[in-house]
Order: sequence, then C-alpha cells, then structure tokens
Amino acid sequence: MKVALKIWRYDGATGEKALREYEIEAPEEATLLDCLDIIKDRHDGTLAYRKSCRMMICGSCGMRMDGAAVLACKTRMAEIAASGHVPVISAMGNLPVLKDLVVDMTPFWQKIRAVKPWLDTGYVEPPEKEFVVPQAEMDVIHKESLCIMCGCCVSECNSMEADPDFLGPAALAKGFRFVGDPRDRATVERLQAYSDEHGIWDCTRCYFCNERCPKGVDPRDAIAKLGAEAMREGIDSDMGARHAKWFVTSAKTTGWLRETELVPKTQGVVRSLKEIGFAMSLLRRGKVPPPFPPHVAKDVDEARQLYELVEREGHEGARGIVQLEKPLARLERHEAGYEEAAARGPYGPGSFPKPYLPGENESTEEGAA
Amino acid sequence: MYDVVVVGAGCAGMRAAIEAYDTGASVGVVSKLHPTRSHSGAAEGGINAALGNTAEDSPEKHAFDTVKGSDYLGDQDAIEIFTAEAPGDIYQLEHWGCVFSRNEEGKLAQRPFGAAGSPRTVYSADITGHVLVHVLYEQLMKRMEEGSLVVHEESFAWRLMVEDGRCVGVVCWDLVRGGVKLVTGRSVVLATGGMGRIYRATTNAYSCNGDGMAMALHAGLPLKDMEFMQFHPTTLYPSGVLITEGCRGEGGYLLNRDGERFMARYAPNALELASRDVVSRAETTEIEAGRGINGSVLLDLRHLGAEKILTRLPGSRELAMTFAGVDPIYDPIPVRPGAHYMMGGVATDNWGATELEGLYAAGEVACVSVHGANRLGGNSLMETITFGRRAGRAAAEHALASGRRGEVSDAPARDAERDLAQLLSRTDGERPWKIRDELGASMLENFGVFRYPDRMERQLELIQELRERYRNVVVEDKGEIFNTDLTQALELGYMLDLAWCMVQAGLAREESRGAHSRPADFPERDDERFLKHSISRWGDDGPELSYEEVRMTRWQPEVRTY
Ligand SMILES: Cc1cc2nc3c(=O)[nH]c(=O)nc-3n(C[C@H](O)[C@H](O)[C@H](O)COP(=O)(O)OP(=O)(O)OC[C@H]3O[C@@H](n4cnc5c(N)ncnc54)[C@H](O)[C@@H]3O)c2cc1C
Ligand code: SF4
Ligand code: SF4
Ligand code: FES
Repeated sequence: MKVALKIWRYDGATGEKALREYEIEAPEEATLLDCLDIIKDRHDGTLAYRKSCRMMICGSCGMRMDGAAVLACKTRMAEIAASGHVPVISAMGNLPVLKDLVVDMTPFWQKIRAVKPWLDTGYVEPPEKEFVVPQAEMDVIHKESLCIMCGCCVSECNSMEADPDFLGPAALAKGFRFVGDPRDRATVERLQAYSDEHGIWDCTRCYFCNERCPKGVDPRDAIAKLGAEAMREGIDSDMGARHAKWFVTSAKTTGWLRETELVPKTQGVVRSLKEIGFAMSLLRRGKVPPPFPPHVAKDVDEARQLYELVEREGHEGARGIVQLEKPLARLERHEAGYEEAAARGPYGPGSFPKPYLPGENESTEEGAA
Repeated sequence: MYDVVVVGAGCAGMRAAIEAYDTGASVGVVSKLHPTRSHSGAAEGGINAALGNTAEDSPEKHAFDTVKGSDYLGDQDAIEIFTAEAPGDIYQLEHWGCVFSRNEEGKLAQRPFGAAGSPRTVYSADITGHVLVHVLYEQLMKRMEEGSLVVHEESFAWRLMVEDGRCVGVVCWDLVRGGVKLVTGRSVVLATGGMGRIYRATTNAYSCNGDGMAMALHAGLPLKDMEFMQFHPTTLYPSGVLITEGCRGEGGYLLNRDGERFMARYAPNALELASRDVVSRAETTEIEAGRGINGSVLLDLRHLGAEKILTRLPGSRELAMTFAGVDPIYDPIPVRPGAHYMMGGVATDNWGATELEGLYAAGEVACVSVHGANRLGGNSLMETITFGRRAGRAAAEHALASGRRGEVSDAPARDAERDLAQLLSRTDGERPWKIRDELGASMLENFGVFRYPDRMERQLELIQELRERYRNVVVEDKGEIFNTDLTQALELGYMLDLAWCMVQAGLAREESRGAHSRPADFPERDDERFLKHSISRWGDDGPELSYEEVRMTRWQPEVRTY
C-alpha cells in the first residue's frame, strides 16, 4: 500500500524545524513504526526516533500522530492510508525535543524517582519464602503494574502543561502501584508526599491520560484512588483535598454543590476574603446562588442514600474505584471483525474446524460446515 | 573510574549491578537503551524455579529436565548450581515487590512449561519479563538515590578496553549528545543480551544484535556453541512477535490446516508441550509437507474459553489482535517457528568469569552453559537473575581486591574517533539495510530449523560477499545527536562476524543435537564425536574452531524422547 506521512523534523544542533512529507510503499500490515523504518532505510537516514521491541512493551516509541500521543508500533496504518488522510507525526508534548521524534525523557524519570518507586517493607522482616498475599489483593495494582513508562500520558497532560512541576500521571500511577500493594508499609508517608503541592490534587481531571494510555493503565483512576486513600487516612490539608471533601459534604447534606461555601472551605477563611470581590461579581451576574439560606435539593435523599450505600458496601478508598474489567476488555474496541466473530462464536458456521487427534478425524466434518 | 562497569541493563545487567553495588562496589551501568526498554521486558511466559508450590518438585528434578532438554550438552555442574539457587533468587525478587501471579493459597503460582516434569514456571499473567524489568529498575533507582550507582543510558558500547591483559572498561558512542566516551572500571560485566536480529523472522527486538559477543570475539575471547540458535515454535505470522509458550502451558493446541493436532505424531506423550526444538521441527515438517496455511500452522486457544484467555493470556490476545487481526477467543492464531534465543555466547565459568582478567559475562550474551543445545522455556530469565547475581558478586570482589590503579590510557578513544570519522566521511557506497535484509533472509533459508550441507556452504560464501559489501557501507546521518543511523551500521558489522562463527560451527558439527538438526546427512546425535562444546575464536582469517569437553556430574546421555 502507499502511505504518506508528514513528519515534524527538528535539528537539535541548529534549532531548525521543518515539516517534511514522505510517500512510501509499505506492506498491508505495516504499523507506523514499520513506515518510519522504511523512510529511514530507503529515503532519509537522518530521521531519528526511538524503537526497540516493536511489540508494545518496551515503551520506546511514544510520539504524536495528528497531535495525539500513540505508540508507533501499535498503530496500524492501513485504514489511515486507505482513507487518503496524510497524518502529521511529531514528537511527544510536555518534554523537550532532542531531535525529530526523540524527546528528552530526563524530566519524566525525575518525577518517577520523586515518588520513591520501590517497595518499602518498613521494619517487617521478609519471610523465608514469599510473602503470602491473595491474588485478589494483588489485583488492586494490576492496572498500574501494566505501565511501560512510554510517556504518552505525560505528553497529553493538561496540568503538566500549566505546571511543569506537576508529578504527572505516570509517576502518580507508579505511586499507587506501591500504595495499593499490601506488602508496602510506607502508605501514609507516600500519601502525604503525593498530596503535597504539584501532587494528586493538582490534576485537572481532564482524563486525557486515560484516553491516550496505550496499555489501559488509566492513570487518572490511579490518582483518584490515591485521593480516596489519602482521605481515608485523614490526609486532607491540601486545598484540593478540602475541596473534594466539601464536595461530598455538600452533596450529602443538600444534594447540591454549594459553590459559595466551597472557596472558604477549600482555601480557608482568610485567603478566601481576597476572593470576595470576584464572588460578588459572580453573584451579581447570577453565576452562583445566594449563600443564605442554604438551598436543599428536592431529591437530596437520593444523594444521601448513594453515600450510605458506598459506606455500607465498604467501598471506601481505592477499593471503591478499582476496576479490572477495562484492561482485559480494552481491545474489543478497535478490532473491526470483532462483532462478526463474537456473533458466530468460536465454533460457529464459518469458524475453523474443531481440532482432532490423529486417527479421530471423522468427527471434524460437521464442525467445518 | 568505577569499581564495576556493567554493560547492558536487561535482567542480567540490572541484577549484576544491584549485586555488585550491594557487595560494596561503585557501579557504572552502560546501556544503549534506557534499562526498562531492554528486551527482557518482552518475556511473557515465566521463570523457572523448583518452589513446589503447585505440585511436588525439587532442584534435582529441575536439573534433570534441564540436562535432558539441553540434549546433554549443558554443563552439569553449572546446571546444578543454577537449579539449587533459583528458588532463593525468586524469593528475593518477590521481597523486592515483584508482581507475580498467586495461587489459591496466596503463594506464587506456577504453570507447566514445555519439557518440564512438574509445573515450575513462576509467572505474572503473560507479562513476566515486564514485571521483572520494572522491579529491578525500581531497585536500581533506589540505589541511584543513595549515590554510587550511575546509569549511562543511551550510550552505545562499541569496543572493550584491554590494558596489560586486563579488561578496564568500554569505548562508547554517546547516542544523546554524540561523541566517543570511555567508561572505565576495575571489572567489566557484559550483559548485552541476544542476537536474534541475524534472522529475518525473530521474536527479538531491534536492539538484539549480539553486540557483546562480537566485542568479546574481537578482544580475542572464545565464543561457545554458536551454532545453537533456538527457534521458538509459536511466533506470530507475519510480524514474528512471540506468542508465549504459556499458551500451550495453559492447554493450547497446535493444528495443521486440517485441524489435526499433529504433535501427537511427533511427541505422543508430551504433545504440544514437547521441547521447543522438537515442536519447531514438527511444525516445519508439516509446513514443508503442504499441511500449513501461508507457511504457518495454527495455535488454537478457543477451547480454553474467554475467561481463561482474558485473565491468563491477555497480552497474547492483544498481540494476536493488533498484529494479525485475530481474536484468539474466536479464531486460531497463525504461528510459525522464528529465531528466538542464542544458546551460545561468551564462554564463562560458573561465576561468569571469562578468560580475560576482569571481564565477566551473564545473561543471553554468555554461555555458562546451562542450556546446552536447547534451552527450556522459562530457564533463561532465571539464568539472567541467578548468573547475573553471581557475575555481579564476582566482578565486585575482583574489583575490590585489585586495589587502586593509575589512570588508564585514553588511546582507545582516539582510535575509536579516528575509525568512526573514517566511516562517517564516506559518502559513496551502499546503505546498510539491504545487506541486513539479505543476511536475515538467507540465514533463515540456509541456517534455520533444518540445516543441509550445501545450503550451509552457500551461506558461508554469501556471508563473505556481504562482508565485502559492508566495507563500503554509507552512514547518511553525519550529525552528533541521536545518530541511530551510525549505531545501526555498527550493529550490522557485529552480526556479519557472528553469522560467520555460527555457520562455520554448524557445518563442522556433523550430527543432530538439540536446535542443530541435519536431517539429510547426520540425522542422529553422535556422542562419540560431538559430546563437546564448539569454541570459536577470531583469528587472522576469521573465526577458528576448536572443541572443549562437556562437564558432567551425574547424568549420562540417554536417548531423548518426549
Ligand atoms: C519475546 C521473548 C520472550 C521471551 N520469554 C521468555 C520467558 O517467558 N521465559 C524465559 O525464561 N525467557 C524468555 N525469553 C528469553 C529471555 O527473555 C532473554 O534471554 C533474556 O531476557 C535476556 O536478558 P539479558 O539481560 O541477557 O538481555 P536483554 O534484556 O536483551 O538486555 C540487553 C541489554 O544490553 C544492552 N545493550 C546491548 N547492546 C549494547 C551495546 N552495544 N552497548 C550498550 N548496551 C547494550 C541493551 O540496551 C539492554 O539493556 C524470551 C525472549 C524473547 C525475545
Ligand atoms: S486527568 Fe490529570 S493527570 Fe491525567 S492528563 Fe488530565 S490533568 Fe493530567
Ligand atoms: S500510564 Fe500509560 S501512557 Fe503513561 S507512561 Fe504508563 S503506559 Fe505510558
Ligand atoms: S517499540 Fe517497544 S513499545 Fe513500540
């Protein structure tokens, strides 16, 4: 097939940038990485990008296609090529570019290191053999342990763009990998550290990281789990934590979000006095309801019941958020023939015949029908 | 100058670095990839240790299976050390936080693997290598925080530095900034992994080019058993990525185009779980007899059901769906044999020490030899850990005992700069990719699962032609920053030399043993003449071959059936 690509070239030595277009001949099953290889071999040996495993596990080949982060080795080109679209390939965002599609990952790894990413068993002497832990408890960190450190989430993170010091989705997901590990004994210290400035409460909840992660790690969910665990441990001095807490209280008591109280509850009374001018202007324009008397929603009972249900079921903290379904089922979205295959089932008409051992092949004819 | 320089940061390199550091040495790690990008991370199925968590097992049983699997070419003293120390090494990894799968009792789960007498493969779903690499890197980061462990990532090691008969470091090309740099130490551990990229169809990453073996070869060191390249029976058609043996361990079937479980004709007892060499030959025979589909056979998981596939083999499903458009819940996966694992490598003793003072090797780059003529699935990750640890320990002890030495000469840097400048100044000639593709295709054709004398002869000639063409190879990128065009050209040079060693050793081994199969002229194992290791050394006119005894302890060679 013919594949056309536009690539943002960048020369780190001179600082020159240029958008180059390439047209190549590639096999039908080619991925974006295969196409880059063909360009580098046959058209332009100076093109730089990272690669190694070509099987979505080493995390080398993160880059942007049409402005969204992808793994080059996971991105099949046939559909795009057939549509006639010419995608623009560029380096990942939020990280300094070294050359063409290669970014400097140093800031990425600095943040990973900042979350103290190693198991801390405290004063517990490890047993002679393994720690005995039920699989169900290990499942809590299943998604986070899938992370390949490719940086796709960081590339797309909104908070990171505004605050380069934000720990960011990958590091925080790594953090949860330890907070959720029953063998780790530094939970409180970790939660305190991750709740500081530039930590979990600075996430804007844009969900871009969940959207772009190629491995189904769902870093935003990990951040939510860290938040829930922090609350459970009573670590709530950060504004973000108080904000979230007030959110819950407000919803429980009135069924509404009482915006006028949100700011003082979150920032404290003194700091929020500074915001009074702004608040008054919102009030005048009808953007917030008047604070007194507190307005109670008609169906506040529903909100309260919901709250109690969560409490009764013991779904507080991370356990209320853990979902294992998505990483397992995440592939069902992009396989075109999936529905057709699911409809016919593994041995339905049109399926490959049922297997047989040599000497018992009579049974197969019907399966093949 | 570091006490210990570790070249390569896969499972073997990182384990060696950790051990050297914990022994009290300052450690510099050099890797052309960031450590977590190493190909160890791609290992799927698991890691073998006789824990006995699922069924009764013992290190002796593990040792016997390994000896038999090696077709009696493995060194038995090394194998006994290996299987005895493996369980402790697994517990250590677990204590560091490795995310292994658990059984009903909450202990480490173990699954059956090919040619193993007991379920002894510890795993983490089908991302075992991934969790190992990440737990080791976590431990590396912990030690980096403390101080005297430094990782020089994206530094391409090109040559060993040898001074007064001792190895004192490596000459590197700095990928990020460009330029030659020397990383020196009192001991050096080579842990650069495998060389599957010599073949067109391979499970190995683009980075697996045998760099360390070639570096050692050119420093005058012997390579051992280079004719033994393992072909994995289930690599995905057409991409070549691995579909783990765990699929068959969980009960998957291999089918020919008629739906017949053909393994029953080749290995009536073990069926799909026979040793890898046996299964790869069976598949090739089926395909050559016209009972394949598109040069492949089928791996059928449908009967396992969605639940088991989704929980135990999600990664394999992801690979099959992404690279072959097949959902294994509903359709069988097209697979064929592909180059997977180099049993041979830099010859070492049981502590990873080589012939050259101060130089150690561990992992796939080394040949201890635990795997002999055929490696068992799950044994090589274990080898990287156990022998990585041993080599790290021995290298540190050597360094700490050898005391301070004066500065080493920087002449190797000037030599390297001159040679690289010469290569970079060439503008007229051939680009490397064609030579690389021809090498890969011809090795598959002429030195693959089955080996025939005429084809091996032809391959030797072809390698000479390719080497000749390589002399005029042109690197198009003349820049300093991230010049992978340059490093890929250097890697091709390594592979051409290693291919020569392989085919030469293969031609001379007039028997069939393990992964080396000569159906036309020498279909049987010949213990009288060839129960010995082949040794390749670089001489004036290419590799020179000699032989060395196999070290035996308790097991005499027997006929190998499954
Ligand atoms: C797809 C696949 C699946 C596998 N599954 C299993 C399994 O389930 N069980 C099992 O036991 N085994 C398995 N194996 C085999 C096993 O994974 C490997 O043999 C093992 O991981 C090799 O580890 P290593 O540390 O020796 O090398 P690698 O992990 O390959 O690491 C090599 C390191 O050396 C560095 N390096 C290389 N060249 C240079 C250079 N010139 N300069 C600087 N640095 C360099 C690289 O950057 C890298 O860090 C599998 C192999 C493959 C390919
Ligand atoms: S949800 Fe939070 S962490 Fe994720 S991308 Fe958005 S701001 Fe960043
Ligand atoms: S969370 Fe996902 S996107 Fe982010 S680094 Fe990990 S694997 Fe990549
Ligand atoms: S090349 Fe390894 S993730 Fe793409």
